[in-house]
Amino acid sequence: MIRLGIMSFAHLHAEAYVENVRAIPDAELVGAADDDKTRGARCARALGVRLWPTYEDLLAQQLHGVIVCSENARHRALVEMAARAGVHVLCEKPLATTLTDAHAMLEACQQGGVSLMVALPMRFSAPLLEVRRVLDAKRLGEIFCCVSTNQGQNPRRHRDWFVDKRLAGGGAVMDHTVHLVDALRWYLRSEVAEVYAQTTDLLPGGNGDVETGGVILLTFANGVFATIDCSWSRPASYPTWGGLTVELIGQHGVMRVDAFRQNLTIYPERSPGIHWEYWGSDANQGMIGEFVSAIQERRAPAVTGVDGFRALEVIVAAYESARTGRPVRLTMGENR
Amino acid sequence: MRVAIVGTGLMGGVHAEAWSHTDARIAAFVGTAGAGGDALAGAYAARFVTDLDAVLADVDVVDICTPTHLHAEFTLRAAAAAKHVICEKPIALTVGEGRRMIAACRTAGVRLLVAHVLRFFPEYRLAREMTARGDIGAPAVLRLSRCTFRPRKADNWYVDPARSGGMILDLMVHDIDYARWVAGDVVRVFAKAAQTSGRPDETDHALAILTHRSGAISHLEGSWAYPPPIFQTRFEIAGAAGLIEFPGPAPAAIEMHLRGGEGSNHEVQLPRSPLHESPYATQLRAFHEALTRGTEPPVSAEDGLAAVHIARAAIESARRGQPVELDASGEAR
Repeated sequence: MIRLGIMSFAHLHAEAYVENVRAIPDAELVGAADDDKTRGARCARALGVRLWPTYEDLLAQQLHGVIVCSENARHRALVEMAARAGVHVLCEKPLATTLTDAHAMLEACQQGGVSLMVALPMRFSAPLLEVRRVLDAKRLGEIFCCVSTNQGQNPRRHRDWFVDKRLAGGGAVMDHTVHLVDALRWYLRSEVAEVYAQTTDLLPGGNGDVETGGVILLTFANGVFATIDCSWSRPASYPTWGGLTVELIGQHGVMRVDAFRQNLTIYPERSPGIHWEYWGSDANQGMIGEFVSAIQERRAPAVTGVDGFRALEVIVAAYESARTGRPVRLTMGENR
Repeated sequence: MRVAIVGTGLMGGVHAEAWSHTDARIAAFVGTAGAGGDALAGAYAARFVTDLDAVLADVDVVDICTPTHLHAEFTLRAAAAAKHVICEKPIALTVGEGRRMIAACRTAGVRLLVAHVLRFFPEYRLAREMTARGDIGAPAVLRLSRCTFRPRKADNWYVDPARSGGMILDLMVHDIDYARWVAGDVVRVFAKAAQTSGRPDETDHALAILTHRSGAISHLEGSWAYPPPIFQTRFEIAGAAGLIEFPGPAPAAIEMHLRGGEGSNHEVQLPRSPLHESPYATQLRAFHEALTRGTEPPVSAEDGLAAVHIARAAIESARRGQPVELDASGEAR
């Protein structure tokens, strides 16, 4: 039995992960801890999870792994704590808010002899996996260009810290870029060589502190270029939280994938509006399953801290590009 | 009002059909011999000539539907004869030519109307009207996409950068003009272009990010890399108080279009939606009204020139791999 714990309920994904862990016969959710006592008590009660008074208490329960769901800027402290305790880590994305923190986390996990996985569930999305198979079968031929979007509603409707630069590290760019950077690296099997970005705070809800919209143009080492729209451009009335799409332009044709378009459309007589109910496969379940399997099989997980580090490098470069108006060159690994 | 249509290809025919919804009369078609101009002229009971000068004395308006590299020459000849000019988009191949055309028409005291037909497409016009009256707040992030197949034609001027300016100037220019219409002047352009056909110098897929003076950002996609018969246009405008999306998101998780059968006989596809009046007819009605009553059409020659400026900046950016800054007058710095 793989014994797991949850460190912090700051990120709303924690709720989904609790259900994912419970759905795995070989895994046991031992409990959770949270530095915010009120939030911890509320979430633990709502989810029926045992709450330990401190992170140290939780880590003392002979855990195999923890899922870190704290605010972005607090990932480092919790990951280092888990690594010191010899517990494998699945860390919510983005890995960290600075490359210094991200580097320290990679080091700590290496020294602690534990694996570091980053929560990039799109690697486990059924529609995105289908595209990976089409690419493997070379049906599109050479890929020249990708157009991708990960737009969403402003996440402050769930948690205020998402628009607090001190805790989130930034706004839409920090929140919504990593999934696509990772998916594009996975599809193209190449590293990002150049980053151009323009950001805006014209979309509402940035609190005067963080950008609420952005468009990023990446050029990969293999010459392929790709855009990412990471904007919080979905209003409160949008029928779902947002979405994630990738369009690929290839030698033999074009392809477009929408990771969240397997929905029913619901038109209520009374309540506020039309909404979508998702019926597709749960990518998070595959991701939590991989975390557990990797621990059981004593191997590195399919998505590692290095993948999280690469995605963060792009984010840091995107902020610099947006500030200067110039493209920023990345040399793989040298920006640590 | 009597009209000479210069150019007897696809757009010459489209304009002729659109003129038939006005009380103007097509007096003549001007084209090259043996290119189907006689038949077109026959259908509209008009003369067919191979030299514009032969009919200039007989018309009030010259409607230029030629390949782009000929726009300047015909405009200057029409202006010299004091005839109004209607000109297909883009206004010209280069900013310099466009500027000369505007100056010549101003000096001659004639109108120069540029056929940026997207401004007459009801879905685009409605979205712009709603944005302009503040329904979705200040525009913040625009996404405009126009994807179709590589034009096919015996003497394929569309894909010849010397005659059309290439895909960005011929196709993406529609959305460049629209982005500017919705979100205002552009101060910076960064673009990347691909040659998926494998033909050097023949950009067939490009992405551009425009930064507007207002702080808004536009993401533009233009493509001749889709398999026939696809012509897919999409847009969304995200504003401070709402979002407009056209069309809604695709209903499928996966969509794939592979090259194979030819799919269509058309040399290029025009977007079509069932309407009581085609956007081309709406456009010519507006132009007809501008010429007969002196009204201002929703697109000026200066707008046409600004679109060429931005398109040229995008081409330059893609070539150099650097963003291109535009100053207050729209000039590349």
